[in-house]
Amino acid sequence: MSTITLASKRRRAALRTLAFMSPWLIGFAVFFAYPLISTVYFSFMHYDGFRPPSWSGTKNWTYVFNDYPYFWPALRNTLWLVLVMVSLRVVFGLGVGMLITKIRTGTGVFRTLFYLPYLAPPVAATMAFAFLLNPGTGPVNAILDKIGIPAPGWFNDPTWSKPALTLLALWGVGDLMVIFMAALLDVPREQYEAAELDGASAWQRFRYVTLPNISPIVMFAVVTGVIQTMQYYTQPLIAGKVASGVIQGAGTQFEPGYPEKSTLTLPQLVYNLGFQRFDYGSACVVALVLFALSMVFTAFLMRRRGGLNLAGD
Amino acid sequence: MPEVMPKVIRKTAFALTASLALLTTACTGQSSSGANDDASKDTTINFWHAWSAPSETKAVKDLIAGFEKAHPNIHVNVVGNMTDDKMNQALRTGGDKAPDVISSFTTNNVGKFCSSNALIDLNPFFKKSGVDPATTFPKAMNEYTQYDGNRCTVPLLGDAYGLYYNKTAFEKAGITNPPKTWSEFEADAKKLTIPAGDGYKQLGFMPDYHGWETTTEHYFAQFSPTYFDTSGKSSLATDPAFKAGFTLQKKLVDELGGFQKLEKYRSKLGDEWGPKHPFHTGQVAMQLDGEWRLGMALDAKPKFDIGVAPLPVPDDQADQYGKGYITGTIAGIAATSKKQNAAWELVKYMTTDTDAVVGFSNAIHNVPSTLEALKSPKLKYDPRFKTFLDIAANPNSTTTPASINGGQYLVTIQQFGYDYESGKVTGLDAGLAGAAKQIDTDIAQAK
Amino acid sequence: MTQVLDKPVELRTPVSPAERTARRKALLEWIGVHSLGVAAALFFTLPFVFVFLTSLMSDTQALSRDLIPHTWEWGNYQKVFDTPGFLTWWKNTLIYAGLGTVLTVVSSIPVAYALAKFRFPGRNLSLMLVISMMMLPPQVIIIPMYLFWAKQLGLSGTLWPLIIPMAFGDAFSIFLLRQFLMTIPNEYLDAARVDGCGDLRTLLKVVLPMARPGIAAVALFQFFYAWNDYFGPQIYASENPGAWTLSYGLESFKGAHHTDWNLTMAATLLVMAPVILVFFFAQKAFVEGVTLTGVKG
Repeated sequence: MSTITLASKRRRAALRTLAFMSPWLIGFAVFFAYPLISTVYFSFMHYDGFRPPSWSGTKNWTYVFNDYPYFWPALRNTLWLVLVMVSLRVVFGLGVGMLITKIRTGTGVFRTLFYLPYLAPPVAATMAFAFLLNPGTGPVNAILDKIGIPAPGWFNDPTWSKPALTLLALWGVGDLMVIFMAALLDVPREQYEAAELDGASAWQRFRYVTLPNISPIVMFAVVTGVIQTMQYYTQPLIAGKVASGVIQGAGTQFEPGYPEKSTLTLPQLVYNLGFQRFDYGSACVVALVLFALSMVFTAFLMRRRGGLNLAGD
Repeated sequence: MPEVMPKVIRKTAFALTASLALLTTACTGQSSSGANDDASKDTTINFWHAWSAPSETKAVKDLIAGFEKAHPNIHVNVVGNMTDDKMNQALRTGGDKAPDVISSFTTNNVGKFCSSNALIDLNPFFKKSGVDPATTFPKAMNEYTQYDGNRCTVPLLGDAYGLYYNKTAFEKAGITNPPKTWSEFEADAKKLTIPAGDGYKQLGFMPDYHGWETTTEHYFAQFSPTYFDTSGKSSLATDPAFKAGFTLQKKLVDELGGFQKLEKYRSKLGDEWGPKHPFHTGQVAMQLDGEWRLGMALDAKPKFDIGVAPLPVPDDQADQYGKGYITGTIAGIAATSKKQNAAWELVKYMTTDTDAVVGFSNAIHNVPSTLEALKSPKLKYDPRFKTFLDIAANPNSTTTPASINGGQYLVTIQQFGYDYESGKVTGLDAGLAGAAKQIDTDIAQAK
Repeated sequence: MTQVLDKPVELRTPVSPAERTARRKALLEWIGVHSLGVAAALFFTLPFVFVFLTSLMSDTQALSRDLIPHTWEWGNYQKVFDTPGFLTWWKNTLIYAGLGTVLTVVSSIPVAYALAKFRFPGRNLSLMLVISMMMLPPQVIIIPMYLFWAKQLGLSGTLWPLIIPMAFGDAFSIFLLRQFLMTIPNEYLDAARVDGCGDLRTLLKVVLPMARPGIAAVALFQFFYAWNDYFGPQIYASENPGAWTLSYGLESFKGAHHTDWNLTMAATLLVMAPVILVFFFAQKAFVEGVTLTGVKG
């Protein structure tokens, strides 16, 4: 009798699990696994949306890696963005977070002001910055000229376009600031006091008390920063479009990565190949490269990070 | 435990196979629709175009109103501000909301439209209606609306490019006539340049390829180049016209102050469509632009007399002075359309009815696209506009050929131009060969 | 001598030099910190100010380098509202964000609950898969997804291809909720089971009320994501202006108005404003939510 109850209990448990997990199971199969396999499939096909797909073997792969002039610049840009933009964001976010914890009067006001830019929708924020940093008519250069500092070309200058994008990213650092704030406030006061008693300097206190305590948060910030950089699409695209001043539909071709391929990112290539050149096969090749890179970065970072509290219970 | 795993696995596997089945059916090409509709019955068609300015959209409305008056049974749903990307997407997906008739600002996609059968071949329709394209449209326009014998588009108004010049500045500099040859042009540009500080008080001509209309496409038209040889390969490296064009432009850039100085000046200039256009303000004395610039310049009420002339030609082609670059808007019928006969009525009206073409041209200030319309007494235009009409009718005027991957080759040439004028690439021959190779590879990839 | 002249008790005894330097140091630190704070505040708020000022300039003045408008053209905002499609973009964005958020929350909760509280073979695998879905850039699968929605189902030119998948859980929401639900002590669940509640009732009656902050955070994030989404509408809705969202419409606004920076900046502010307003009303939930992700994620 006990075995029957056990088996039916097991089956009920299985049904229960299935019922609760079903939305995600369907979602995973239809919106993740299936498209991923199709992307691999299409990367070996020649398909332009009109004529039926035909097998083309490694032709798309050779094209993207050898002959597509935007591929390697996009990879280099991605590397630049991961190394520079992510780290600057983390450092700046930590700095601002620390600053806030030290401000006693009007903390709430400061915190709100610092956080607001993060809320600005990316398209709106990028357009605002493209206007502000316009070398000819923007207020920033107007002020710089008045002070007498040489004004860079920002979004119109290939050496300054990525720094300009980084500036935009730093402007929106509110989310990192908030989590760093919480982490900093969580550091036990006793440890600071003990360090002070030991005669530690401010820098030593930071290095030996603050950092170890907040390192999981720092790691989290770095991981999410890298993920966001892999997906960096809207801001560089809008910045290039606005800065190049190309009027849509006027017959002039839009130059991806304006200026001079300096703002190209891999996601933009997928759009260029798939929805401008209508070379779906090559677009899938770039998509797979993007996928592989994302997986590699996250696997690398997650390993370092240690436990994810998977066991639980 | 064994009961749970198989269930999960089975469910996933089922979903996967179902999706794969969907995938295979998703790969079908287009369903052919054919021209089976009755154009005399009551019907509605979708017309997508690229115009967006209020005056332009009104002109389109008037044009369509004229059509609906002549064909009361056909109603037209007009959608504006549609760029090529969006039209391309809609042509591939079809459906009720997809356009039946499209009109695009650029001739660049004609090759793609025709070779992939996104737009239908209109030759049979022309025959049925008794209209001969060869005698209806100017030569260059016939050229850019077809690809490989397949005429899938029709010209709907055209653009011609010429030289605008500041007559007052010319007088001040002692120049009596607009330049006819490149050497004269170069000399005039230098004479008209008045430097000031690290910029200019007046620049003779803004030669940079990034300068709106001074693209490689428009410059080189004056050199009458052949873009592709008979086997379809790019002749960028073999046709001396390109080498001459690139060399002369670079010389002009260097002589007017160098790339850095010019770019800095350019970044401070007003916008192409705004009120502070550098030609209107007198900051630039000569401007390479399309026929629409005349109307805009006059509206800005500049403090000088505006002169219009054809662009200069290379010294060794002096007898061809008067030619220019022709391009224009094109119209076509979607292959997915189920109302192709009704759509043809609209296309025929818009592109061949002389009064309709003339009226539209008057409203938008573009060059009319039929030989009849070019001669029509009902054409209203500033006498200076006649220069563009002559350029359009000139048999030596050139255009850029259609290619299977659209305007990609033009982008490649333009990108090389950026590199060459800025000094990033110094070896011209090697650079041209590299760009030609890129063009060939891109075309091979698209086949 | 007299009582009156005696120093009151509260007055401190004379300060020692060491205390004086310490207090000076504290004052300098206060000045330093607050100056930095003001500088940072300027950095974060000046862009908004410039955008606002520009939005009130006349057409020609917006192209100049002036910082303050000569005339205060409040009518610019009216012009933006009157732009054909502007209100449609609002409607579409609200539908996309609102409906999407509801669907995401409803479908993600049971999955998160199962991953947090059930024990079953394949649970760790599922969790890893959820995490890998989180890392996935949407561009990786866009081609087959687009072909599926557009060619197979004919849904291009609408926002449905973006909304429907949200009914099947969102990886990020699932993960976040799971982490949050794990902090709910199992004693509550056991107590509910003893009371005779099945799994569904336990979830609805016991767990959900306790999970309100987590759910609020997830809802806000999802709303945010949909409100700000540009890529999705660009791919699926671009061919039908009737389906455009604010993000996509804003970009085409610039295209139609070329150099009307004043109007474009006005439109930009109008797109930024609602999110900021929502923030002011839901500040606590926002900040808690962001903290949740950082600390528990």
